[in-house]
Amino acid sequence: MNRNRLSFKIIVRVLLFCFILGGSIFTIYYLFARKTIERESRENAIHLAESTVYKIEEIINPAEMIPGNLAWIIENNTLSRDSIYAFLRQLVRNNKSVFAAAIAFEPYLFSQERYAFAPYAYRSGDEILNRDLWSPAYNYFIMDWYQIPALLRKPYWSEPYFDEGGGGVLMTTYSVPFYTNTNNSRVFTGIITIDISLEWLTEIVNSVKIFETGYAFLISGNGVYVTHPNASHIMNQTIFTYAKEVNEPVIREIGRDMIGGESKLSNVNLKEMGNVWIYHTKIPSSKWSLGVVYPHREMYAGLRSLNIMIFLLSVMALTLLTIVTIRIINRQIRPLSRFAKAARNIAGGNFDTELPVVEENHEMKELHDSFRYMQEELANYIADLKETTSAKEKIESELRIARGIQIDMIPHIFPPFPNLPEIGLYASLESATEVGGDLYDFFPIGDDHFCFAIGDVSGKGVPASLFMAVTITLIRSMSDKNRSCSEIVQSVNKTLTINNESNMFVTLFVGILNLQTGELQYCNAGHNPPVLLNCDREPLMFRNTKAIPVGIFGEIDYCNETMILDPSDQIFLYTDGITEAEDADKNLFGEAALMKALTENRDKSPKELTDRVKQSVKEFVNGHMQSDDITMMCITYRGKNGNKIK
Amino acid sequence: MGMMLLLLGWNNSLAQNGKLIFTPHWIPQAQFAGYYVAVDQGFYKDNGLDVDIVHSTANIASLDLLKNGDADIVSSFMLDAIEQRANGVPLVNIGQLSQHSSLMIVTKRKSGIDTYQKLHTKKLGIWSNGFEDVPLAFMQEHGIKMDLIRILQTVNLFLMDGVDALLVMYYNEYDQINNCGIDEDELNTFFFSDFNLDIPEDGIYCMEESLKSKGSAYAGFLKATLKGWEYASEHREYALDLVIGEMNKAHLPNNRVHQRWMLEKVLAMMEPGKKKVMKGQLLKLDFERAMEVFKMAKGTQGYQTFGYEQFYHPSAKGLK
Repeated sequence: MNRNRLSFKIIVRVLLFCFILGGSIFTIYYLFARKTIERESRENAIHLAESTVYKIEEIINPAEMIPGNLAWIIENNTLSRDSIYAFLRQLVRNNKSVFAAAIAFEPYLFSQERYAFAPYAYRSGDEILNRDLWSPAYNYFIMDWYQIPALLRKPYWSEPYFDEGGGGVLMTTYSVPFYTNTNNSRVFTGIITIDISLEWLTEIVNSVKIFETGYAFLISGNGVYVTHPNASHIMNQTIFTYAKEVNEPVIREIGRDMIGGESKLSNVNLKEMGNVWIYHTKIPSSKWSLGVVYPHREMYAGLRSLNIMIFLLSVMALTLLTIVTIRIINRQIRPLSRFAKAARNIAGGNFDTELPVVEENHEMKELHDSFRYMQEELANYIADLKETTSAKEKIESELRIARGIQIDMIPHIFPPFPNLPEIGLYASLESATEVGGDLYDFFPIGDDHFCFAIGDVSGKGVPASLFMAVTITLIRSMSDKNRSCSEIVQSVNKTLTINNESNMFVTLFVGILNLQTGELQYCNAGHNPPVLLNCDREPLMFRNTKAIPVGIFGEIDYCNETMILDPSDQIFLYTDGITEAEDADKNLFGEAALMKALTENRDKSPKELTDRVKQSVKEFVNGHMQSDDITMMCITYRGKNGNKIK
Repeated sequence: MGMMLLLLGWNNSLAQNGKLIFTPHWIPQAQFAGYYVAVDQGFYKDNGLDVDIVHSTANIASLDLLKNGDADIVSSFMLDAIEQRANGVPLVNIGQLSQHSSLMIVTKRKSGIDTYQKLHTKKLGIWSNGFEDVPLAFMQEHGIKMDLIRILQTVNLFLMDGVDALLVMYYNEYDQINNCGIDEDELNTFFFSDFNLDIPEDGIYCMEESLKSKGSAYAGFLKATLKGWEYASEHREYALDLVIGEMNKAHLPNNRVHQRWMLEKVLAMMEPGKKKVMKGQLLKLDFERAMEVFKMAKGTQGYQTFGYEQFYHPSAKGLK
């Protein structure tokens, strides 16, 4: 699959999100489950240990009362000396948990004739026998069961031992000091003991099952293993030798807490079992301690297999999800590439391109409809455009023709009058649009007069050009020998004003030069003042007139002005397209720049002069669009018969 | 008496066939590892001996078995042997294995007894069957009086604070206390060897009169025994296997950790240390100091006097 494809990106993102989401959910679930199991295991461990201790105490407590009661009986002289053996036998017989019982007397305290006496009743098979424990070989005064309670004057649970007489079973002896009242004083008289088989204890502790390898164990006050799943530990190892053997100092610490009578839960890492919970609590009667071991490995085993199951299911689900997502997304977005192809075809101009079929009513359908709409609109638009273009082309062609006609209306052959040596002339008109409103014209009147005009119609385009055509026609038709410049202008004005609904007007300068005398008569109707040039003088701008342009008010009188031209004088006429030419910063070319260009080129021929001025303007605007028609006309008066030809 | 002679005669005849009954002075434990190794490795057999190890019990001392003729050769604590000899039992030392004293007094640090002077008037747990001479001499030399509480063999009374101090062997009870959860730094120790009482302990004894008939056999026994100890020192785990085996045979509770400790300490005591002594040899100086200790502990009245040469009969050549 192409990595850049949308479907690939969507699938990757969706799967990544699913993966992260699944991972987060799984992590939260796992931590929560682990915590719960941990808490429950901890509670279980404590509960298990405490309930086991309770079971043990249920048996020990009644047994523990026996020597105490017996001590009370002796102290109160209710037991006759002759019946001691019978009493002890009966006591053993009546108490199934008791294997043997003894009353061991301090030296000479049983009788003054007897150094030591320890009547003892014990089980032997089904029988209950009795004997005196004392013999020179069995000096009970230095035995722990006697010596320790005797010295400490408090009851004592002996360390467990294998009793050979009792068939090698594990036993413990509970010893209680007893007293007699002699001469009103309470005298320590000896020790009462009961021997208890610990088989039941082993059974209780061994019945504790914790998973596969977890277990309960019991240690004595010295840390000796009384019960342990590993039978070789029992009575051989203390928890401390075991700690040394497996090199686990932490077990020694736990052992110390245990023999110290503490109840505590510890989380330890053992080389053999890994992490385990160990909870221990003391057995109140004997000061022994019970421990339960909860291996983490097994505690979390259920969770682990569940995790594996979840993992496998997740992998399967993810695979399935991948396949399904790929299929769905591919199916859903397959039209997109077809749309893309179609769009390319449409762009290529093939508006009839078949669009992909979308059956379902959703976004893709919307896209399809939009495409269809676009296809139709594009086709319409292109059709319209064709029509418009052909219309525009038609207009443009007509305009081109109009321009031709307009250009044809103004003289454009130079030199215009080769047979008029008195006159040198050059004129140019550059329209800003296809057709412009500027105009110029010149023609001889009779043999010795030369009429010329320049004007600028307000507005641009076709209306201006029509107005210009009318104006130029009027000037021609109005000009004759008998009319002065002002009369011509007046006539033109009058005619133009009639039916001038669009209120157009034209600035107009009309001059008639007497070729013989050099007298120039002129009338300026609001046009830019021409410039008088002579290479021997500074250029001189004609005076500004206050006469308004023609075409506005019909009844206005225009007046003539006259001046005498010297031979070689030049008159430079122009429209505001020159002085108002703009550069990119909207600066105007202006009269000063015009005057400068004229000054620099005053010795040039009319054509050269106009070209130079045009060049100056071009340089000034520096490529900025021309907004107005630019029209110039330069007339050189060469004197009568052109005597002074430059 | 007739029976006794018959028994002795029977023993003699066995000895002539290379058969020897050896009785260590206590129940099976690592203290006797060298003997088990010598048997297992056939070192006795190599010396033409058929040695049978018969252990004494808590109730019957090895020296009694020797005296009664139930054993040809025994191991014993030297001061016990000196006492027997002083009582007229003609026994002799034919080889001294331990060169140092492992006897010591321990107190619990929490008792505050951290100098030997503070032991004065305190209760001392002490075995009922011997080993009292050194502590008695110690008390006498340092003017200390202690209340002696006779005990059989366990350390329970001490653990339960029934006594303030306990007489122990460094190689045995000291470690037992440790193995009952009392850390070493919770104990104060008083080694008698630090108080000029470095009295050698375990040695090998026989009846003087048997030397004539069995002298060469005893020499072979000592030689093989020393070799057994050397082998045990070099193969400690193997030696421990034998010890554990012997203890199991005798139905004794046992654990390897404690036996390993014991083996290490017993082997250390066999090293000469600062003493100019060969393995198996009894120094005259040590004997004389032991006699001083004996006299301090027991007095002189009623006891026979004897000298180093009478007591010590090195059976192996070159030990004297």
